[in-house]
Amino acid sequence: MSKELTVFVVDDDQAMRGSLQWLIESVGMQVETFDSAHAFLDAYYPGRAGCLLLDVRMPVMSGLELQEYLGRREIRLPVIVITGHGDVAMAVKAMKAGAVDFIEKPFDDEQLLSSIRKALEYDEQHRALYARKAEIATRLAELTPREREVMAMVTDGKSNKEIASALSVSAKTVEVHRARVMDKMRADSLAELVRMALIASTPT
Amino acid sequence: MTLPRISIKPTLFHLLRRLPMPVIGILIGLIAGLAVWIVLDQVQSKAVERIFGRELSMRLDLRARESLIRFEQYMTNYAATTRLLANHRRLAQYLEPLFWFPGETFEPVVYAGFRPFWLPDVFGRNALLAPSHVLLVDSRGLVREVYQAGDEALPEELTGNLRQWLGDLDEVQRILARFDDQPYLVVSDRVEDASGYTMGSLVVLVPVDAAFLAASEGSFSADRSAVALIDADEQRILASNEPQQLIPGSLLSEWSDEYLVTSQSLPAYEGSNWNMLFATFIPERLVAKMSSNVSDFERNQRLIAALVFIAVFTLVIYLVSARLNKVLKRMTRFSQRALGIAQPGFKGGGNQLLLLEEWMQHFTSLVLRAREEMRRKHEHEMRETEALKAAIMEASLDAIVTLNRAGAVIDYNPTAERMLGFDRQAIIGLDFVHTFVAPSDRAHFIGLLRDSSRRGPLGERPHARTELRAVRGHEQLFPIEISIVPIALDEEPVYTLYIHDITKRKEAEREIKGLARFASESPSPILRVNGAARIVYANAASQPLIQAWETESSGPLPTRWCEQVRAVLEGGETLEHEDDLGSTIYSLLFVPIQDLGYVNIYARDITAVRRAEQESRQHQAELVHVCRLSTMGEVATGMAHELNQPLAAIVNYANGASRRLKSGQGDSAELVDAMAHISGQAQRAGEIIKRLRALVGKQQPIRSAVDLNLLVREVCSFVEFETAKLELQIEQQLAEEAIPVDVDLVQIEQVLLNLVRNALDALEERMPGERALLINTRRVDDRALVRVWDNGPGIPPERMSLLFDPFFTTKETGMGMGLPISLTILEDHDGTIRAESRPGAGTTFQVELPVAADDVETSARAGTLEPSAARTLTLIEQPGAEVAHG
Repeated sequence: MSKELTVFVVDDDQAMRGSLQWLIESVGMQVETFDSAHAFLDAYYPGRAGCLLLDVRMPVMSGLELQEYLGRREIRLPVIVITGHGDVAMAVKAMKAGAVDFIEKPFDDEQLLSSIRKALEYDEQHRALYARKAEIATRLAELTPREREVMAMVTDGKSNKEIASALSVSAKTVEVHRARVMDKMRADSLAELVRMALIASTPT
Repeated sequence: MTLPRISIKPTLFHLLRRLPMPVIGILIGLIAGLAVWIVLDQVQSKAVERIFGRELSMRLDLRARESLIRFEQYMTNYAATTRLLANHRRLAQYLEPLFWFPGETFEPVVYAGFRPFWLPDVFGRNALLAPSHVLLVDSRGLVREVYQAGDEALPEELTGNLRQWLGDLDEVQRILARFDDQPYLVVSDRVEDASGYTMGSLVVLVPVDAAFLAASEGSFSADRSAVALIDADEQRILASNEPQQLIPGSLLSEWSDEYLVTSQSLPAYEGSNWNMLFATFIPERLVAKMSSNVSDFERNQRLIAALVFIAVFTLVIYLVSARLNKVLKRMTRFSQRALGIAQPGFKGGGNQLLLLEEWMQHFTSLVLRAREEMRRKHEHEMRETEALKAAIMEASLDAIVTLNRAGAVIDYNPTAERMLGFDRQAIIGLDFVHTFVAPSDRAHFIGLLRDSSRRGPLGERPHARTELRAVRGHEQLFPIEISIVPIALDEEPVYTLYIHDITKRKEAEREIKGLARFASESPSPILRVNGAARIVYANAASQPLIQAWETESSGPLPTRWCEQVRAVLEGGETLEHEDDLGSTIYSLLFVPIQDLGYVNIYARDITAVRRAEQESRQHQAELVHVCRLSTMGEVATGMAHELNQPLAAIVNYANGASRRLKSGQGDSAELVDAMAHISGQAQRAGEIIKRLRALVGKQQPIRSAVDLNLLVREVCSFVEFETAKLELQIEQQLAEEAIPVDVDLVQIEQVLLNLVRNALDALEERMPGERALLINTRRVDDRALVRVWDNGPGIPPERMSLLFDPFFTTKETGMGMGLPISLTILEDHDGTIRAESRPGAGTTFQVELPVAADDVETSARAGTLEPSAARTLTLIEQPGAEVAHG
């Protein structure tokens, strides 16, 4: 778990915020607290990794509304919903809207913390994948159209000669293109190049 | 009565009359059948005889020919045997060594009585009579050897040369010859020796005698017929097969009486020396007998057929005439009945056809008489009807006018004269419409006149009755009621008008209408109902009321008022009731009109008055209710939520702290801070609970002196709706004197209301009608007591101790705060509450309050009670006598 991961706590009750921070920091995680959804939205920018601990019952903008808003903005921060006694219907709604978990007050600390860990892990993986993909996309952008063609055929498992005949060029030329693709994509091996092509084609 | 006689002799006619038709039918059948038979018998007999004669001659002919054929056949057999003999091996062998020299002289060898070697017995084998002689003749015709069977010598004619008898030797030759009056059959054939040399001829001689003829005919003589050979020239019998009867030598004519003779020539024997005939004799009597047999049989058959025919014919005639007789009898009876003739026309028997004819005359005269009588009766009735009609016309209070089809008056009565103001004769022939009907109504009247003769789809007459205005004496208009009756006479239809002067009635109606307007103009609903509580009149203002009752202007009253209507009608007293219809409340005044059987209902809308009253009451009820709910229900829910917050925070702080301590991280300053937070949150939870407690006792009670009885009445009125729903009347046994208490009115009402509601809830489990709720108040010294008793299911003993614990409830919707709060309120008022319950029998709650201080002092001065004592009473919770009412 890297240092940049933050647990964002949004709750209108000061005591809740303080106690949650106290509890979560006890396992060494970084915590930031906000007293309202707006305060959170003001402070948060999309690149920040972590998870969101959200009270469903809040004045002005409820947890559900915030969750919906984030969804619309395609901010894929994992959300854990906190509910009070008797808010189960609301929790179900939140889960349906994509929350990773929901926790009822008062909390079982183990359950809360494991839920947070899971959410962070999910976020990290998601972000790593996303970052990798972005990186590959940048590198792909550097390729010329012909190089992209060559790369597609190479990762498709075609030999140099096959590519040469398909593109009506000499095998030597293909060799040159291929070397340049490997160089531009910063791939050490053909296997890595294939992996990159796969990642680039997976949907986020 | 004179009857026309049919011209038959009286005696015969009398007989015919006596005989029933079936008997006559049988007689006719028999006579006719007999006559037909007699005629037919003659004709047929002759025809049969003719046919029989023809048949007989044919058969005789056939028979004769058969005999001849048999005779010839027999002779042919001899030829065949002769040929066999001539060519026999033995003869050839015998002749082999012989040679007859032509010129030598010789004596013929005679075998008398024995058969030579060359003559085997072939005739006997062939069932032929043995020949009398067999001769061997040489080629010149001379007899060389003779076999003689009997004593009889060879006839003279055959001893010499036989050349003339032999003819052509190639064929076997047979000849019938007569030797010495005896006919013989001579058969000859050529004989050769073994080497084929022709030696001469073999001649066989057979006498044609009785035996020969009998043998030729065989056994065929069952009918005693006979055959004979006849000399044609002499007409003499030469030989017969019955020599005893037909004696040879006798003349043929001798037998012609006794026999039928058929003679035939024998053409095959031309070489014969005489003219012969073959005759067949059939005895005359045999034929006669046969003929009579045939005709007898035929006659018998005919007789049987005729009898059967006559029987069937007679039966048919009998059946037809019996049926006819029955029909005629019935016809007669029917006509008798139809004409009402009492005396019987005839007895059952006799010829019905003739009898009916006789009676026809009688019937005719009867019919004529009856018709005459009916006509007289009818005329009499007509006269009576006329008289009656005239009387009715005279006496009628209505004017009666009869019009013809053109609308002209053709009849009238005296009332019509008076009513229409016309002289007797002046009316006749006047056009009624234009003379007597007001111009404005003429079209209507003509229409009615036209329609009156039409009939509806079911054949009913239209109700041709209407009110019009008529003209009297050309000028004065007056209202009439007119009824038109069309009378369909044969020649043309006429109309009878019944006219009634309704001037007076109209005036009365106008008067009544004017009076009736009183009710209709009234702004308040006024209704009239009959004894069955059905509305017979309702003014315009009563429409909303009628709609609210969900009935119609002529519909029934709601059932709840039906009883009332009956009661008012019976009692004859005016009654007033209120009817709450939800949106409006009416005061209904029931006034009976006994002689008409009606009840007038005068309604008054008192909604506004009652609304005002009810609103103030409801306001109070709502207040108490809202108070109860807000303090109990909602606060409790909110409290649970609020408590959850600090508790969750405490848990988090504690967990965080313990984790830090476990892992050894975190300094003490931090932990102390967290502890501080924990205690702070715990405080916060405490605050919340305190706030809740404060909620109940928050308002400082506003004490005022009030009558406890009044409080009870108020509370009962709050729950009127609920008690009505449970079909229950709260029984109030209140102290006669006011019991003044110094209390917070709302709070004590709340306590009482709570107890009453609990009781009502408990009573829901009882069946309607079994529910009872009793409240009584009384004063015991300076204590005011209120008891609330219900006969609900009661409280189980194990629950009694929990009764006043908060949040203890047996109801799904209850909070479990009712009794605890009541307890708190009463504690504030120095009062007590206690409960007693017997499961299955009911529950009693008793509330005790101090009597108002002023009043106590008054009482104290009277020496009843120490004022201080009132303050010493506290809540008594009787062990095992309290429980779970929410």
